[in-house]
Amino acid sequence: MTGAQDMTQERPHVIRHARGKRPEFYDTPGLDQAMAMIMTLANELSVLRDRLDSAERVAKASGLDLAAGIETLELDQAALEEREARRQDFLRRLFYLQLKDADEAAQAHTAEGFNQTIADIALQD
Amino acid sequence: MLNTFQQADHPILPKATADEAARQEFAKSFKGFIQSTLLPGLTPVYQTRVAKKFERTHGRPPADRRDIRSGMVEDIYFQHYAAANRIAQELLWESVNGSIDRQLPDLIAKARELSAAAKAQLVIPEGFTPPRYVTALDIHCMPGGYCSEVCQDDVSVGALYDRGVYLYAMGYTGPNNDDMGRSVVNYLKRHMPEFKPRRILDMGCTVGHSTLPYKELFPEAEVWGIDVGGPCVRYAHARAAGMGLEVNYAQMNAEETSFPDGHFDLVVSHILLHETSGKAMPKIFAEAHRVLAPGGLMIHADLPPFDLMDPFTQFILDNETWYNNEPFWGAMRDMDQFALAEKAGFDRADVRFDTAPMAVMEFAAAAEGYSQEASEAVAEREFTAGEFAPGGGWEVLIARKPMDRKMAA
Repeated sequence: MTGAQDMTQERPHVIRHARGKRPEFYDTPGLDQAMAMIMTLANELSVLRDRLDSAERVAKASGLDLAAGIETLELDQAALEEREARRQDFLRRLFYLQLKDADEAAQAHTAEGFNQTIADIALQD
Repeated sequence: MLNTFQQADHPILPKATADEAARQEFAKSFKGFIQSTLLPGLTPVYQTRVAKKFERTHGRPPADRRDIRSGMVEDIYFQHYAAANRIAQELLWESVNGSIDRQLPDLIAKARELSAAAKAQLVIPEGFTPPRYVTALDIHCMPGGYCSEVCQDDVSVGALYDRGVYLYAMGYTGPNNDDMGRSVVNYLKRHMPEFKPRRILDMGCTVGHSTLPYKELFPEAEVWGIDVGGPCVRYAHARAAGMGLEVNYAQMNAEETSFPDGHFDLVVSHILLHETSGKAMPKIFAEAHRVLAPGGLMIHADLPPFDLMDPFTQFILDNETWYNNEPFWGAMRDMDQFALAEKAGFDRADVRFDTAPMAVMEFAAAAEGYSQEASEAVAEREFTAGEFAPGGGWEVLIARKPMDRKMAA
């Protein structure tokens, strides 16, 4: 048995959803959910930044001025390349759907063609 | 002004890890950002886009908050504002709920231990049924509402409320989350220094946060906090014990309590009325009148009636009705509270509205996180819709029960 299942069986848990139909604010389907996800990500980004700030402060209290070190750090060529690669990789993931759109265009994939393929496979092939 | 207010710790307050605390702080900051930075944009959006469009469509300007709402809900700026508000609310509860879930068994055990050691009473009757107006929807979108219990002796929604409401109010409830009670207590101290109630009742006390300042000011008094939420009064009892105050708590409906006639000298409530219903509110006034001794005071601290503000401000405030599971929020502000008090038995001449300045000022420089500058800024600001306590004060409805009982004919 997994730990999570054990926990569910052995101890009480709080209620996670408020009773009451959630209103929709936007006309565009899915945008309400997308906005909530964006803000949850922003929340975690803020948590991470706070944690780094805490790390700097703890280090400083122990005699290591991380914050000052970060500000005066000079990156060598290897570090510059590592960072640039990480940023490009992040941007590729961030723009995943736009790149997929371009890929579909390059391969001349269309929604009509996609539906036709499903129909063909389901009914004929 | 940056709001960096922090809640004071007490033995039963859920503890947060560094990440949980950061998550909660973000939710509080996000709420503050919406109110200080997004909300002001609604006025020009309304004036330059929405009102004009409404007039073109209807051939007349918007007349009331309903007209304004019908136009605003179609505007993308309002949609972002309202969606952000709702999401902030959801992030807020979830950030606290996750923290409570992690430590729930310990919180329940700690509450049991604190309550067992307390001399004050905790009354939770068998088979109590909470009224529909608190169970049909989870008010404030707080998961579980006031009454849900996930196990025996559960206090989870009480803990959720204590921490969550502090964040919801962005710290304006003071380090002990008791600003409303403390504000009314300060009001009594300044305006009625001779008033020495022997018995005090706090109706709809939730986790008893507002109840405690009354015990501090009147240490000899018998103080009761009642609420329909079992987990809330259970948490309240442990909380008061943990803070070293002897206050009795009971699961009881303010519409119909089990106290004898004329038992109390002071009956108070804090943001209770707008969470009841059109049928319950008159009964609560009548019950307050019944349990008050002749010459006793009834004080309800809530927010101003709609007729005291312009339609656009009414519209902003009324968003709580639609987006924060508060069905009675708007309707309550349309009610004639003078007439209700009179019907309950008070003389109209003995009923009045007043403002009790926020006690958060009292904490200036006294507690960490409460700077003089921050508290002055709270006290001196103008009424702004959407704030937790608009205009730096709480609207209080005060009624004194006549000294001479009117005998029924």
